[in-house]
Amino acid sequence: MDRLIYTAMTAMNAAMDRQRVVANNLANASTPGFRQEIFAVTPATLQDGSLEARAMARGNVRGADMKAARVVPTGNPLDVALEGKALIAYQSPDRQGEIYSRRGDLRVATSGVLENGEGLAVLGEGGTPITVPPGFSISLAADGTVLASDPATPTAPAEAIDRIRLVNPEGSPLAKGIDSFLKVPGGGVLPPDPTARLTPGALEMSNVETADTLVQMIEAQRAFEQRAKIIATAGDLDEASSSLMTLR
Amino acid sequence: MPTSALHVARTGLEAQDARMRVIANNLANIGTTGFKRDRVDFATLAYQEQRVAGQNSTGQTAFAVGLNLGTGVQVQGTTRIATQGTLNATGDVLDLALDGDGFFQVELPPGGQIGFTRAGNFTLSNDGTLITSQGFALQPPLQVPQGAQSITIAPDGTVSALTPGNAEPTLLGQLTVASFVNPAGLRAIGDNFLVETAASGPAELGFAGENGRGQIRQGMLEQSNVNVVEELVEMIEAQRAYEINSKMVSAVDEMLRNANQTL
Repeated sequence: MDRLIYTAMTAMNAAMDRQRVVANNLANASTPGFRQEIFAVTPATLQDGSLEARAMARGNVRGADMKAARVVPTGNPLDVALEGKALIAYQSPDRQGEIYSRRGDLRVATSGVLENGEGLAVLGEGGTPITVPPGFSISLAADGTVLASDPATPTAPAEAIDRIRLVNPEGSPLAKGIDSFLKVPGGGVLPPDPTARLTPGALEMSNVETADTLVQMIEAQRAFEQRAKIIATAGDLDEASSSLMTLR
Repeated sequence: MPTSALHVARTGLEAQDARMRVIANNLANIGTTGFKRDRVDFATLAYQEQRVAGQNSTGQTAFAVGLNLGTGVQVQGTTRIATQGTLNATGDVLDLALDGDGFFQVELPPGGQIGFTRAGNFTLSNDGTLITSQGFALQPPLQVPQGAQSITIAPDGTVSALTPGNAEPTLLGQLTVASFVNPAGLRAIGDNFLVETAASGPAELGFAGENGRGQIRQGMLEQSNVNVVEELVEMIEAQRAYEINSKMVSAVDEMLRNANQTL
């Protein structure tokens, strides 16, 4: 019976982990650009020649669901929503390489660096952060070009200072790292996408669908309860067999 | 570990609660002159790595996917949305509105720091100084002589008035307008005032209409930029998000109760 309860226990752990992934998705239902995570359980079978009944459940996060989310107009000219599958390249917080996000609530930091709501610096086409000249006001074009104009010369046309590095993730591996940012596993960069378009003045929200996620939550809850029941049943069986052996 | 889903859901409740508070504050200030609405910025909390993708699963093979469990969400801060509020004609000659970027500077309690505001409902003190309704003097101070009539404030801030005994209007001074590299970095201290911070950078003073600063409109007040419909939609969204997170708390609680009772 010990084997049965250990197998059921791994499944219970997996159900609790699934509930945690679901809880994290729900908690981030209002985080702009958030991509929900998909949890999957795979059987880990021990092959010892006899009956293959000991399939331990092993849970894993299969990665981010890159489905597009709803776009809301915000009226803020520095908010951008990406069209299609494009991603914005940001400088990794540790300044090692680049990370990708759909989150486009941009702003100009005091240092002049263009960054998003999470404080990540937006990379330009050359792979370096975009810096806005002091005092200039900026606007964004649909192809990601950053246009800066000097308020001192209002009649002069706005000058393109750089273009936001927009990349195409198709055909490349992409995974969510421990810091919750999307990156190429094992290092590396995604190819630039010259055709990528964005919509200024709008923001893409989280792609967590609450109704669907609530169903997943109930599923995980019931699965957990079933496994607890199996352990209890295993206990009963164990007791029954030991009482059979008892000599009166 | 097993209760961590509870804590993840808790972070969601806390974040939505903070968001509700910001929405409530926006709605409460719907009639406040020059008020700018705040938006809550959410950020994902760190992840816990239980198994690294690429780690060996057997001697020859490696896990293709990892097991990273998120720990929830946090409110990273609030962003002041600086869109222009509606300009309302009030007819009062000392009501000033900024049409465009910039702030009026006010000396908070005499001798104190400089506060920045877009609320231009000024009055005159008993000695003729232009002050806010709280009694704080506009900077640089503007003195209006006794008996002055038809005070005119031009779009560039030039103040002139007819004084007794003079047929021509007398120039009283010119108002300055402050602008910032990052106005979103200013700190709100209440009473319609904002103060300078390291994030906003120092105030750059100049005249209205110069270097991108807005023009002054006399006899008008800037209303708050809060949009009721937008706030109500946000409010319902925050309420629903709060509800689903509390649903998660009760679901995990039931799981644990069930385990306690069954095992």
